[in-house]
Amino acid sequence: MTRTMHTSRALCAAAVLLAVLAAPSSALAQGRGGGGNPQIDLTISPLSISFASANPDTTPAIVAAPIVITIRVRQNTGPWTLTVLANGDLLSGPSSVDISNVTWTATPAPPFQGGTLSKTVAQRVASGTGTVNPAQNGSVTFRLANSWTYNAANYTQTLVFTLTAP
Amino acid sequence: MSVPRNLVIILLSWAAAAFPTPAAAQTSTATLSANVGAVASLTLSSAAVAFPDADPDVVAQIPATGGPLVITAKSRATGGAQVVLSVQAADDLRSGVVVIAASNITWTGSGAGFVAGTLSKSSPVTVATWTGSGVRSGSQQFFFRNLWTHPTGTYTLTMTYTLSAP
Repeated sequence: MTRTMHTSRALCAAAVLLAVLAAPSSALAQGRGGGGNPQIDLTISPLSISFASANPDTTPAIVAAPIVITIRVRQNTGPWTLTVLANGDLLSGPSSVDISNVTWTATPAPPFQGGTLSKTVAQRVASGTGTVNPAQNGSVTFRLANSWTYNAANYTQTLVFTLTAP
Repeated sequence: MSVPRNLVIILLSWAAAAFPTPAAAQTSTATLSANVGAVASLTLSSAAVAFPDADPDVVAQIPATGGPLVITAKSRATGGAQVVLSVQAADDLRSGVVVIAASNITWTGSGAGFVAGTLSKSSPVTVATWTGSGVRSGSQQFFFRNLWTHPTGTYTLTMTYTLSAP
């Protein structure tokens, strides 16, 4: 009888420990780790990237105003990566412009790097190992390849930036 | 007592393996927008069309010297919209006070969308039509209707081409 009670108490204690170990997962999904887990912060300003209309002959590539991406990685010993994924092509009703016509350049390089937007595979914007503390700013400038073949319209699409560690 | 302790150790070991340090991730969404406006660009291979003198019995329709006028029309229009290239004479052919009607000038068209026509000073005449955005190229071969009744002289007129892309 005494042995059974001790066994039950031990199982309860183990269950409590399991719950404690499992709990941080949800908190980290928000980018805030506890204890020795990585803590990351991602800030982008502004959250709007606009391309103005231009004649393709005189402006082969339309340059948007740069955005500033601020990243901070703490309590991390492994790799970290910042990626961007478009939720689709540039759309305006039935008209579309392939998102691969949008490219970007970024400084400082490294850790930031240039690339071409994709709607299927997240593209690397910045990467490194260990910590980034204090926070580091990156300037990212997007460009739209201008073309006579685009339908005249106002197009939009959303981009999802994701900072992950490790 | 030793059995429960062992059980706790086993459970804790399993917990450590089952819940490794979770990856931290943080996302931020930005909006991409592009204003693609309607724009048109028209290029002519020559700004002048000339007809030589000829015997009306031998050459009833005098072709322009230099061959066809090559036209490149670039247009960005709303999806499915009709793009129209037209030409209109500012006046009749004039040599001082002597006049020959502009309608004595005709043309044939070559290239997708190009059509034949007769010059008019009263209204624009369609040279070519297309649907939607794109870069198109074609040519106009001009002819002057040669008549014994035309007074001698050197005649001129001005033609205005208009490329419209709604």
